[in-house]
Amino acid sequence: MMGQTPRIEAQGLTRSYDGGRIAALRGLDLSIAAGEFIAIVGPSGCGKSTLLAMLGALEAPQTGTLSFDGEPFPPPHRASAFRAEHIGFVFQSFHLLPTLSAAENVEVPMFESTRSSRQRRERARMLLHLVGLDHRSNDRPSMLSGGERQRVAIARALANQPTLLLADEPTGSLDSVNAARVMQLFEQLHAELGTTLVVVTHAAEVAGHAQRVVRMQDGRIITEVEHAA
Amino acid sequence: MTLAGIAWRNLQARPSRSALTLIGIALSVAAVVALTALAWGFEASWQRAAEVRGTDAVVTRTASQNALPSPFDARVADTVRTLPQVYEVAGLLSELMSVDDAPPMFVFGWQADSFLWRHLKLISGRFPIENGHAEVALGRLAADMLGKHVGATVYIDAEPFALVGIFDSPALVETGAALMTLTQMQRITDHLNRVNLINVRLNDASDETTLTQFRAAVAQALPGYLAITSGDLVQQNVMVRLARAMSWAVTVLAVLIGGAGVFNTMLMSVFERTREIAILLAVGWRRDRVIRMILLESLVLGLAGGVIGVVLGSLAVEVLLWSDMIRGRIDAQITAGLVWYALGVALALGLVGGVYPAVRASGLKPASALHAE
Repeated sequence: MMGQTPRIEAQGLTRSYDGGRIAALRGLDLSIAAGEFIAIVGPSGCGKSTLLAMLGALEAPQTGTLSFDGEPFPPPHRASAFRAEHIGFVFQSFHLLPTLSAAENVEVPMFESTRSSRQRRERARMLLHLVGLDHRSNDRPSMLSGGERQRVAIARALANQPTLLLADEPTGSLDSVNAARVMQLFEQLHAELGTTLVVVTHAAEVAGHAQRVVRMQDGRIITEVEHAA
Repeated sequence: MTLAGIAWRNLQARPSRSALTLIGIALSVAAVVALTALAWGFEASWQRAAEVRGTDAVVTRTASQNALPSPFDARVADTVRTLPQVYEVAGLLSELMSVDDAPPMFVFGWQADSFLWRHLKLISGRFPIENGHAEVALGRLAADMLGKHVGATVYIDAEPFALVGIFDSPALVETGAALMTLTQMQRITDHLNRVNLINVRLNDASDETTLTQFRAAVAQALPGYLAITSGDLVQQNVMVRLARAMSWAVTVLAVLIGGAGVFNTMLMSVFERTREIAILLAVGWRRDRVIRMILLESLVLGLAGGVIGVVLGSLAVEVLLWSDMIRGRIDAQITAGLVWYALGVALALGLVGGVYPAVRASGLKPASALHAE
């Protein structure tokens, strides 16, 4: 990875809440290569989700710098466009829109693309096929199992062909069988699409799928372990 | 799936609240439709009356803005008649008076044998004539409301009049009125030799110059008097202005009250959907798209409520037109212009109620969706 521009370069990130009483990040440095699959682990409150929000341009650091493919992260008023173009999110609680069908949920991020309504619909069908849910495309989230909802959420995250996929406890609400299927899907997507993948998790078995495991504590990275490919 | 489709689904997801808001908007718009139809109808009724009488211009006192101007010396008509632009002149005296036990009714006293009578169509009997007797004719609606037939006695300001005829007119205000000769009207109102309007037919009404010259001639020959078109007279009428002002006031109130309903609904909806909206922002939606989605929801509510309100308002007008207070006095009609006006009001209140919730929604911090895990 040496010599290549990292996909993400974070230096000296700090973030505190409640007037500085709660420090979420304390001068964190992290470099993520393009196409890398990393897991961020650590106890609750160690700053994992705050870091993920910063990597997704949902939140800005109070101090420190963040760059994407060598370019500084965009200012807040351009963050939406940046997310729409480069970032895909997968959340623990799926966060599908309950009034829309599975296919319509997948279409949602594509509203910010130049795709026509028909192209959006076709891509949504293709992505649902990719995650094995083409037969559930017209079903609303309430009619889907937890595992199916998370797969719809993954399809939605891939809608705009992101170069960076961020997942926050993606198996946290799933049973072990569905959790294994979702991680298998992440591995498949990572291998086939080459998407850079950052997963925040508590689960050791989830972290075991990653190429590198970053352990955090008290707003800092305390260890980094590379797994054999 | 379109943005409008998403907005529609969001409204459908909360059917009770959406329905209650629709009812609130519909009632506000119905009030606007009903009152505006009456206000515009009132204006149109008088305009129509002037048209069917064939009046090109009226002469009245300069300062008079009343619906029924203060009476003045009837000899003014003699001066008007001498002006070169004038073809025909007819003095008239009108008042709202008590007729039997019905609500106050327009009673017109028209100069006998003048052009004012020509557009009327007799249904039964004959028109009153200058024979020294107290005679009256009733418009079709007035006779119907009073339940009178030719030969009956009608009490006008407690004085008995013989009902000699029943007539029809293209103008609603005339079908709901009582009509007698100018002399009889002057007698019972104690306005001997006085009129409150002089109706004029010009030699060439289609020529704007004729009217301009006539106005100038009246201003010169009759200081303190004014020649205007019947349209201008209606526009200046203080009752028309009052009706318009009330219509505007109700419109403004409807926008505020209906807007407050939409505001409440949309703000509650935004509060309840904080996470959903944050997710939309997290997946890359621009803030202006979120604003458009919320505004679309409030505009759909406004438009749907407006359509229901137009229907309810139209029904309310139909009911009001059958009441004794309005029947035969105001020709309220639901015109295309009024429908567009009401729908415009409905969209305005949707917009007023939706702007703040939309801006508030767009200002949500998407990170909250992650931190709320």
